[in-house]
Amino acid sequence: MKTLSLYQDRDSIIHKVDPISKLYYIGAAVLIPIILPTVSISFTCMLISILILTLGKVFKKVIPLVSFSFIILLSIIIIQGLFNKTNKTVFISLGSLTFYKEGLSYAFKICMRVINIICAFSILILTTKPSDIIEVLVRNGLSPRIGYVLSSVLQIIPQMVSTMDTIKDAQRSRGMETEGSLLMRMKAFIPLIGPVVMNSLISTRERAMALEVRGFNSKVKKSFLNEEFGYKYSIAIKITIILLLALAVIWRIIT
Amino acid sequence: MKKIVIKNLKYKYPLTEDLALKDISFQIDEGEFIGVIGQNGAGKSTLCQALVGLVPHFYKGAYGGKVLIDNIEVGESDINTLSTKVGIVFQNPFTQVTGSKLTVYEEIAFGLENFGLPQNEMRNRIDYSLELLDIYKFKDRNPFALSGGQMQRMAIASIIAMKPEIIVLDEPTSQLDPQGSEEVFKAIQNLCREKITVIMVEHKIEKIAKYSDRVMILSNGQLIDFDVPEKIFSRDDLEDYGVTAPAFTRICRGLKIKNKDTGLYPITIDEAYDLVVNQNE
Amino acid sequence: MSKKNMWSFKFTTASLVLIPAAVGINYIGKLIAASLKLPLWLDAIGTSLASILAGPIIGAISGAVNNIIYGLTADPVSFVYAISSMAIGVTVGVMAYKGWMDNIGKAIVTGLVVALVSAIVSTPINIGFWGGQTGNLWGDALFVYLTKSGFPTFIASFLDELVVDLPDKVATIVIAFLIFKGLPKKLTLLYNNNNEIEKL
Repeated sequence: MKTLSLYQDRDSIIHKVDPISKLYYIGAAVLIPIILPTVSISFTCMLISILILTLGKVFKKVIPLVSFSFIILLSIIIIQGLFNKTNKTVFISLGSLTFYKEGLSYAFKICMRVINIICAFSILILTTKPSDIIEVLVRNGLSPRIGYVLSSVLQIIPQMVSTMDTIKDAQRSRGMETEGSLLMRMKAFIPLIGPVVMNSLISTRERAMALEVRGFNSKVKKSFLNEEFGYKYSIAIKITIILLLALAVIWRIIT
Repeated sequence: MKKIVIKNLKYKYPLTEDLALKDISFQIDEGEFIGVIGQNGAGKSTLCQALVGLVPHFYKGAYGGKVLIDNIEVGESDINTLSTKVGIVFQNPFTQVTGSKLTVYEEIAFGLENFGLPQNEMRNRIDYSLELLDIYKFKDRNPFALSGGQMQRMAIASIIAMKPEIIVLDEPTSQLDPQGSEEVFKAIQNLCREKITVIMVEHKIEKIAKYSDRVMILSNGQLIDFDVPEKIFSRDDLEDYGVTAPAFTRICRGLKIKNKDTGLYPITIDEAYDLVVNQNE
Repeated sequence: MSKKNMWSFKFTTASLVLIPAAVGINYIGKLIAASLKLPLWLDAIGTSLASILAGPIIGAISGAVNNIIYGLTADPVSFVYAISSMAIGVTVGVMAYKGWMDNIGKAIVTGLVVALVSAIVSTPINIGFWGGQTGNLWGDALFVYLTKSGFPTFIASFLDELVVDLPDKVATIVIAFLIFKGLPKKLTLLYNNNNEIEKL
């Protein structure tokens, strides 16, 4: 049974870093370019993220994630290049379309920011199993009940999707139209989603009962079946990141 | 001391007119295997849930009378405390899977982690449960990758690992295929050896006849009879309560072959065989 | 139900277990809309139902969990829009509590309000992240037109988002309303926190 995950299993040093340090990194990668909004800072952050991804042997897997946003980034380049309010200096002319330097430069900044954020998040997403992220958060104080909610989503969604196909076939065999005019297709929506909702609400009640009789609401402090994974360099990484953030703030105040 | 004592139990679900349980009283000894039979809607599931505290604490509603488990009053206690004394297994194997664990082994640990057990103790209990339910070979498999029978055995194992003294099985094989059902009943036989008090609701009447020390008939929220299986299945009015006696009992009734000593119809196939074979002597 | 109860943080097991189901319904709604080739996202039906059944806080958490899980497992950009999902959850929860999901007319009004709130909350994110665009063809075309006509960016961006949200969110809320009305009472009162045990 597949669970939802982008995790790539590799033997790398980044895989051995704890998820919370990676969250710190994301915080820094997002905040520092905001505190010091220069192109060189954004570029440096992006380079560092790419370096870390390469160390984690997952760099190639970032490309599909970035390409999710590819079309909108392209449209931003075009639209800002053509229509940005501050456009003055002509950069290039293609037929009747004139692209301006200011707009393109703004678009470029946006692209870098987006790619930067995607890369930073990818470090967490590609090198850590979601179940490990959640387990570490619970060990560090996240309510175990919320931890349960997050972990169970990962398996319950594939389950629901697999029952979906059965429902679709059953409804089709009852003569439901799924093609044709927009109105016809819209009418097909509720008969398709209705059974799914009904099913999942009934399951919700039964699952809630099953959880309660297994101590879900126990006031006792929870224990863990497995030993805690020995993550390396956690403290060093976190301190370094906090120092860098502090430096950024100081720099901003000085200049 | 009686293990379970129920006195004048009454219960009504929220926003309903009629009582689901009407003035029920009975007692159960430690180690007994109790079968519960009756039509759908008779109140069997409600009774099961009243034994573990889901009635009234989960549903709320209107509640009267007393349910005492080892002298703990269910109405005044809470589901967490009760779950260490009495466990329950429901019909649907899928909805008893928590969904938050990736292996059968970890799934069984779920309840134990919630009660803060130390790792050693957890491992001992999980190994014990896996063996008892004959699912040790699946311990590293994903819980959703099991068959219905295997999943239901995992559900039972998850409850057994919490070491309750009483286990309630509410139609554990209704949603299973014949093979899955057989697997579960075989596992239940193992449970009997462990001297746990068992209360089982089942429609497979031959199984009820085979395993039960005593059998309870519920109808319309009321307790109709509570006696040894031979007496229950010899009743003439079983059909009125939506109960069909075991096949061989019905055959003997039709042929008017009774056990000469007890005046009752046989309830096991061996007894029926002996009586039919010997009736001409 | 007193006002305090709408914002209660006391979560019952049933309402917590509702959250994964809500995220699943969101996901399946989006799948069905795509397979029927509808011009709508319809990816917030689960969040809306959770809000109607269990209130604004559970709705907000459902929205947040939805984006967090989607961000972790498919598209990191979803993390950034978690606030929008939460805003939808809160809005539907509050409106439902105040009786604005009692009939289809009121449900449509709720849909309009949700579209408005969603657009208001998403616009700063769109501006900060994408420079004002939303990635939707018609919305961005409107954005270009308004920008060229001299409108300030935040208005162009807001209307860009609204053009996308209005049909989508109104349809979402109407569908959630129809489904909710079709649910048996037994299922819906489970999330009603207020029942007490009566003595017989």
